[in-house]
Amino acid sequence: MSDIKKTSSQNPDPHYWQSFEELYNSKEFIELNQNEFKEGVSENIDAGGMSALSRRKFLALLGASAAIAGTSCTDYRDKGEIVPYNKKPEEILPGRPNYYASTCMQCENACGILVRTREGRPIKLDGNLDHPVSKGKICAQGQASIMGLYDPDRLKNPKKKLDTRLIDINWKTADEEIYFELINSGGSEIAIITNKIVSPTTKEVLDQFIEIYPSAKVYSYEPINNEVRNSAWEKCYGDGEYPAIKWNEAKVILSLDSDFLGSSNNKIETARLYAEGRDVMNKNFSRLYTVEGNLSVTGMNSDYRFRLRPDLQMNFILALTSELNKRGAGISLDTFGMDLKNFADENALKLETIDHLVNDLISNKGKAILHAGDHLPEDVHVAINTINHALGNDVLYNNKYVMNSVQPLRTFEEIQLLTSRMKNGDVAVAIHINTNPVYDLPGDFGYTEALKSVGSAISFVEVENETSSVSNYVLPINNQLESWGDAKTRSGFYSMQQPVISPLYDTRQTESILLTWMDGDPAFYNDKVYHSFLIKNWEQKIYPSLNHKLDFNRFWNGALHDGIVITNEKGKGIGSFNVNVAQNIKTPNSVDGFSLQLKESYAVRDGRFANNGWLQELPHPVSKIVWDNYAAISPTSANELGLNSNDLIEVTNGNSSLKIPVMIQPGAADDTITIELGYGRTNGGTVGTGIGFNSFSLFTSKSGLTPFLYSGVNVKKNGGTYKLVTSQTIYAFNEGITKDLPEKRKIIQEGTVNQYSKDPSFIKHENHYSDLTVYPPIEYKGVKWGMAIDMNKCLGCGECVVACNVENNIPVVGKEQVDEGRDMHWLRVDRYYTGAPEEPKVSNQVLICQHCDNAPCENVCPVVATTHSPDGLNQMVYNRCVGTRYCSNNCPYKVRRFNYFNYRDYFKDGYQESPVFALLQNPEVTVRSRGVMEKCTFCVQRISDARAEATKENRELKGSDVKTACQEACGTNAIQFGDINNEKEEFHKYRNHELGYYVLEEINIKPNVTYIARLRNTHSEES
Amino acid sequence: MKRSFLDYILRNRLPVTIFVALSAFALTYFASRAERDGVGYTPNQPIAYSHKLHAGEMQIDCQYCHIGVEKSRYAVVPPVATCMNCHTVARKDKPEIVKLTDYYNKNRALLWKRIHKVPDYAYFSHSVHVNKNIECESCHGEIKQMEKVGQMQSFTMGSCLNCHRNAHDKMPYFKVDEINNGPDYCWACHR
Repeated sequence: MSDIKKTSSQNPDPHYWQSFEELYNSKEFIELNQNEFKEGVSENIDAGGMSALSRRKFLALLGASAAIAGTSCTDYRDKGEIVPYNKKPEEILPGRPNYYASTCMQCENACGILVRTREGRPIKLDGNLDHPVSKGKICAQGQASIMGLYDPDRLKNPKKKLDTRLIDINWKTADEEIYFELINSGGSEIAIITNKIVSPTTKEVLDQFIEIYPSAKVYSYEPINNEVRNSAWEKCYGDGEYPAIKWNEAKVILSLDSDFLGSSNNKIETARLYAEGRDVMNKNFSRLYTVEGNLSVTGMNSDYRFRLRPDLQMNFILALTSELNKRGAGISLDTFGMDLKNFADENALKLETIDHLVNDLISNKGKAILHAGDHLPEDVHVAINTINHALGNDVLYNNKYVMNSVQPLRTFEEIQLLTSRMKNGDVAVAIHINTNPVYDLPGDFGYTEALKSVGSAISFVEVENETSSVSNYVLPINNQLESWGDAKTRSGFYSMQQPVISPLYDTRQTESILLTWMDGDPAFYNDKVYHSFLIKNWEQKIYPSLNHKLDFNRFWNGALHDGIVITNEKGKGIGSFNVNVAQNIKTPNSVDGFSLQLKESYAVRDGRFANNGWLQELPHPVSKIVWDNYAAISPTSANELGLNSNDLIEVTNGNSSLKIPVMIQPGAADDTITIELGYGRTNGGTVGTGIGFNSFSLFTSKSGLTPFLYSGVNVKKNGGTYKLVTSQTIYAFNEGITKDLPEKRKIIQEGTVNQYSKDPSFIKHENHYSDLTVYPPIEYKGVKWGMAIDMNKCLGCGECVVACNVENNIPVVGKEQVDEGRDMHWLRVDRYYTGAPEEPKVSNQVLICQHCDNAPCENVCPVVATTHSPDGLNQMVYNRCVGTRYCSNNCPYKVRRFNYFNYRDYFKDGYQESPVFALLQNPEVTVRSRGVMEKCTFCVQRISDARAEATKENRELKGSDVKTACQEACGTNAIQFGDINNEKEEFHKYRNHELGYYVLEEINIKPNVTYIARLRNTHSEES
Repeated sequence: MKRSFLDYILRNRLPVTIFVALSAFALTYFASRAERDGVGYTPNQPIAYSHKLHAGEMQIDCQYCHIGVEKSRYAVVPPVATCMNCHTVARKDKPEIVKLTDYYNKNRALLWKRIHKVPDYAYFSHSVHVNKNIECESCHGEIKQMEKVGQMQSFTMGSCLNCHRNAHDKMPYFKVDEINNGPDYCWACHR
């Protein structure tokens, strides 16, 4: 990797590249990638860590059992028992799934979900199509959160701290002792620390709690939030919250360090609407400009991208404003003499592109939107609002479903006041409702210290965390799938939450615990306490205001059935813009040192999903790193500091510092460090503890431009390295004839919108391949399955990967195993860079089994374990597979995955082998064991199910009857699935689209996944 | 040439031993085939329920109890409550019904012996077969005449394919255009 120092920004040699090793043709890299399997992939297998049964012992047992069988074959084998229900619940039919509408309460967006249950146990979460905002989609975290229900680490009964240990107590004792504390708080504060409250009925419970205990106060906070944007909005428009945006109607989008497609709040709706605005079927394309400090999902998908350190965003906006004003935009913003040309020169922004941006903004008034990142200072947001207003872009704000918080968040200042009151001994009881302030509040608040002066600290948790470990009482609460509730996030509708399984352990719902303490008698509790409260609250408070035609009971059952209650409540419109507010914008400061931005993790968010193996193993959408966070730095800055990837650095921000490995991120702005939050948990469960580095320690309440953005940060090389593991480069080839493979072999084919409008079939021009084959042609009658992936809509986020994991029982293998190239994901998103490492363009490609008609894997299997079905599927039969791995070797796409272990008992001492984990598995899919090959099946279990349904209804199976898990999950509907032979289906349009191509089409293996070439909406014809 | 001991072993003992071993194996193999496949397995059940009486003489429809056959992969063994639909009134003094009532009242699990079993990696679907109008008897035998149910057919992959490939021979009750051969590709049953 020392070759990095030769960095050149001129035409790089391999045109498409995936890593620096590849770009600079590092020798080890070339050697490493000559082979299909990494060196040592089948070695280094620790026999001690495996099952105690050796091969010899196994054979001995086999012989012995054969002998016994020989002597005792006089009777039938026992086949076990069938145990029917004694009294069968009416709705359950063994073998058929039931679906229940509910609401995902994992974050403040409260998306509608449909829970699939089998024989009473939930096995998959999908989006609820009726939800007006999420419209049938949920994020990767929502999908993976089902693992939280069956997490073996879940707290199973109440605990109390005795000296330094936690001892088990029962609920009665807990209720009695805490009630005693509450009534004896003597006017000292009872602090309830919770996440954002989205449920009106939870708020009602808390309000009544405060009536009974008047000294109680509710502190709702989110460690990562969009409060800066909201407070700017309030200043500009008087009140309300920053609205949702009609991204689909925007023609030009300028993102200022806003990762609205990747991680920012409300991402599900945003991504869907954005993709609607880039529809190759309607030939409708918006243009996305991004100005950002680190390469994000939004940056990967932009048409034009500038690198800029985030603390210079204010300067950029003012410079842009002055240029817009020169063209008569009339933005009433003091630009402090900034000039766009000078600014562009100073910061190496391409003038030509800047010109395009200015022209586009001027000529698309009312059809453009500027959007700034959550972490940027308030002044930036005020300026953005001012520009959007002046250009008439505020027509793109969504007036229909207006953001409507049940209870606004507390500011960090208020939380800081709470900690100082705690320190003074003014707080008698602190109740943490599934929050973790010890971990995720700025270190200089001294929350841990403050908690010591609190009379009694109580934590309601599902899995023990940093805060519960310093609490006096730790109480287990229900998972979201065991809970009742309701949610209101926008005007115009409510979302309902209902339990789909009774609590697995001796846990209680948060609201029931509080209601019991309000009554005081532990005997008050039963499992219906909150259920009846919820019904009563709806009957008395909410239902009357709806003027509903049905009587309450029927209304209520209907509401639970749909999961959604649509009301005719009108959102309060957007107020009038206060022009004067822009006058308060301060002169932008000059910047020095490094700029540090702290971002929410794409995988584990603010750390709350740290114990979820599926998410830890989800490759980062940009860097493809798994199981870690890192400091992303630009190639130039790394060069200046003499850093290579994996080197440890020390980042010093004021009084706090953090040692963390660097990752050289192509496309990052110089002198900028980007670190994701949510890692480095010290008490995050079996999986989450000690993964990554805790960047919350750099989070300080002062000195930052915002809590998430700092200037003048000191970065120095620390010495030592730390291995970061990526799931990407193991597939690369780059020497001789394989060099520049992605381009030469047309794996990635792209164009521009202009090119397309001039010549719609420009892709096909180049593709003339001979159909010569030694195989006899096979005719596929009836349904033949195929998939199409619209790369104009694919954002590379990885939601499909998680959906596939949940549906198909994919195990978690751990960081070391991914490093060995043994990850088990059936579906991966390949990321390719093009151009210079400083300013790369990015292409994403979802790769799964292509179900080739002439599948090369099938020819080489010595035991015929992989064959072709008459409906065009490449079948994999686990029972026949003996593990030669020839098929994988012969697969040109590298989509076959081999079970080197039985990962369910290998990972972390059998964590996944815990009996409760077995409940998570989809009963329609075989759980694979060691020694067999596996790969994408096009969700054959769903195909079989649809076929059975069609037979039942005595009709032919249609392509549209089947939706694969990835297709269902894709937030932007980039994945289409259907019958290739049916010309009437919607799928046919995708399959035969003029931009469609097949990967490695020229080797004539006839793959069945169509890729629709990505078009960049640039001004030129070249991409 | 003098015959050595080795010659004796090679020419006489060895062939005889191999013959004996092979014929013993072949004999056992064929003789025990039914047992290995479970054909004829007729275990005693916790309640001496008679299909002959209920399904045969009283002509209760199979689907009165086996409610899953048309809708699900599983035929479903009925919950105790289904029996009690009648037996809260009918024959409630008979010893077997007293036993049954006891299961019901105490909410105890009734452990029926499993007779028909396909391996868990074969995803057999009752609904597909029943909805194609294949008679229960084709696989399960003359259930309506069985006092005690036993396995009548082998449930190996070979037996499945035998029918899937020769549907009309095996199910002569279908007219020519009423049924086609079943699928014989792997993912029809395994996944």
